[in-house]
Amino acid sequence: MHIMEGYLPAEHAAGWFALSAPFVVAGVIRLKRIVAERPHAKMTLAAAGAFTMVLSALKMPSVTGSCSHPTGTGLGAVVFGPSVMAVLGTIVLLFQALLLAHGGLTTLGANVFSMAIVGPWVSWCIWRVAGKLGASIAVSVFLAAALGDVATYVTTSVQLALAYPDPASGFIGAVLKFGGIFAITQIPLAIAEGLLTVVAMNALSGRAGKADEVGILSGEVK
Amino acid sequence: MVMSSVGGTRAGTMSPVDRAAHLNRWRHRSLTEKAVLALGMLALAIALPPFPAAPMVAVAMMTAALAGARVPVMVWLACAAGPLGFLLVGALSVIVRIGPGGLGLAPDGLMLAACLMARSMAGVTCLLFLALTTPTTDLIAGMRRLGLPVEIADIALLMYRFVFLLGDTALAMDAAQGARLGHRDSRRRLRSLGILIANLLPRAFERARRMEIGLAARGWNGEMRVLSRRTAISVPGLALVLAAEAAVAVIGVLAS
Repeated sequence: MHIMEGYLPAEHAAGWFALSAPFVVAGVIRLKRIVAERPHAKMTLAAAGAFTMVLSALKMPSVTGSCSHPTGTGLGAVVFGPSVMAVLGTIVLLFQALLLAHGGLTTLGANVFSMAIVGPWVSWCIWRVAGKLGASIAVSVFLAAALGDVATYVTTSVQLALAYPDPASGFIGAVLKFGGIFAITQIPLAIAEGLLTVVAMNALSGRAGKADEVGILSGEVK
Repeated sequence: MVMSSVGGTRAGTMSPVDRAAHLNRWRHRSLTEKAVLALGMLALAIALPPFPAAPMVAVAMMTAALAGARVPVMVWLACAAGPLGFLLVGALSVIVRIGPGGLGLAPDGLMLAACLMARSMAGVTCLLFLALTTPTTDLIAGMRRLGLPVEIADIALLMYRFVFLLGDTALAMDAAQGARLGHRDSRRRLRSLGILIANLLPRAFERARRMEIGLAARGWNGEMRVLSRRTAISVPGLALVLAAEAAVAVIGVLAS
C-alpha cells in the first residue's frame, strides 16, 4: 500500500529514509558482489525486478469483489531472497512513482521500509519457519505471501499513525483508525495474494529448470 | 503478437506517463532545470507551512506541466486522480478521533485535514511534473552522475527495458486467457492470473538469457555504455526556476 506523495511531514519522510538506508545499502553491497562474480546476473536481476514491477501492475480480483493489485513481495522474497528484494523493491517503487504516478518521492523511504523491507523479510521468515515446522509447501507459501502483505499494511498504518496521532487517544488510537479503514481493502487483498502465490508457485515448480539461476540470486547456491 | 502491432495504442497501455515523458515539449530541456524545479518545489511544499506555500507550488507546477511542457490535460488528470482515494481516506482518519465516548470529530481536525490535502496535492503536482516531462532513463543517468553505483544504474536501465517487454507479454497472455473464458468469475480469474504469473517468470528469465547471449556474441565484458543526449543548461531557464522557488519560499514564510 503506497503512501502518496506529500502525505508525510518532512521529518517523518527523512526518518524513514534513514531507517531504510542500511537495508538497501546492504542489499546493494550484496548485489555488487553477485554482479562482480557473474556479470550476467545483471540481466537476471533486471528480469526479476521487471517481473515484480509488471506483477504489481496486474489487476487481481479481491475477495470482496473489488479489484486490486498484487504486491509480489511474497513471491519475490521466497524466490529471490529478502536482501536482493530490498534493492529490486526500491527500484520498483521508484519506477512506480515515475511511470505510474503511484506512491511518491518524499514518501519513497517509508514505502521502501514497509514494502521492500518489512514485507519481504516477514514473508521469507514465515516461509522458512513454516517449512521447518513441516507445513506443506502450499500452506507455507500461502502464509508467507498473505502475512507478508498483512505485515506491510500494519507497517503502513503505524507509519501514518506516527505522523498523525489521534488527538484524544494518541498513537494507539491512530493505528486502530488507519488500520481499521485500510483493513477493508487490505485483508481481502492479503488472502487473494496468498491464494494467487500458491497457484503461481505450483505452476512454477512444474518447470524448475532454471532453479539454480534463481538460487544464485537468493544466495542459496554457490 | 499481432495485436501489439495494431494501431499502436497498446504500446501506451503499460504507462501513458512514459509516453507523455517522451513526447512533451520540454523533453529536451536540460535535466538539471527540470529536476531543480520539481525537487526544489517538492521540498518547499513539504517543508513550509501549507498555506499559502502549497497552493502556490501547485499552481506553479500545474502551469509548468500543462502550459509549459504541454502535457495532455487528460493524462495529467488521470494521474492526479489516482492518489485521491488514498487522500480521502487519509483525510477522513485525521478528521475523526477515537475518544472515551467512541468516534467523534477531532478539534482542529478539519484544519489539519485541509493542510494535509493542500500539501499532498502540491507534492503530487511536483511528482507529476517530473514523471510527465522527464523519461525515467534520463533520471537514472542523472542519478548515475550523482554517484549511484554503476551496477545499480545498469540493472535499473535494463529493468526499464524489460518492464515494457514483459508488460506487453502479460497483456497478450491476459487477452488470450480472457478470450478462453479465463475471466468468467473471480475464482477463475485468480487461477488465470496465477498461471499467467507462473508463465511470465520463466519468460522473463528467458529474455534475460537471450540478451546475455546476444551481448556475449558482441564481446560484452560487463560494462554497459550507452549514448545519451545531454542538453546544455539554459542559464535564463535555471535563473527563472530559482527565482520562482525563492519567491515561493519568501512568500510562504512571510505570509504563513
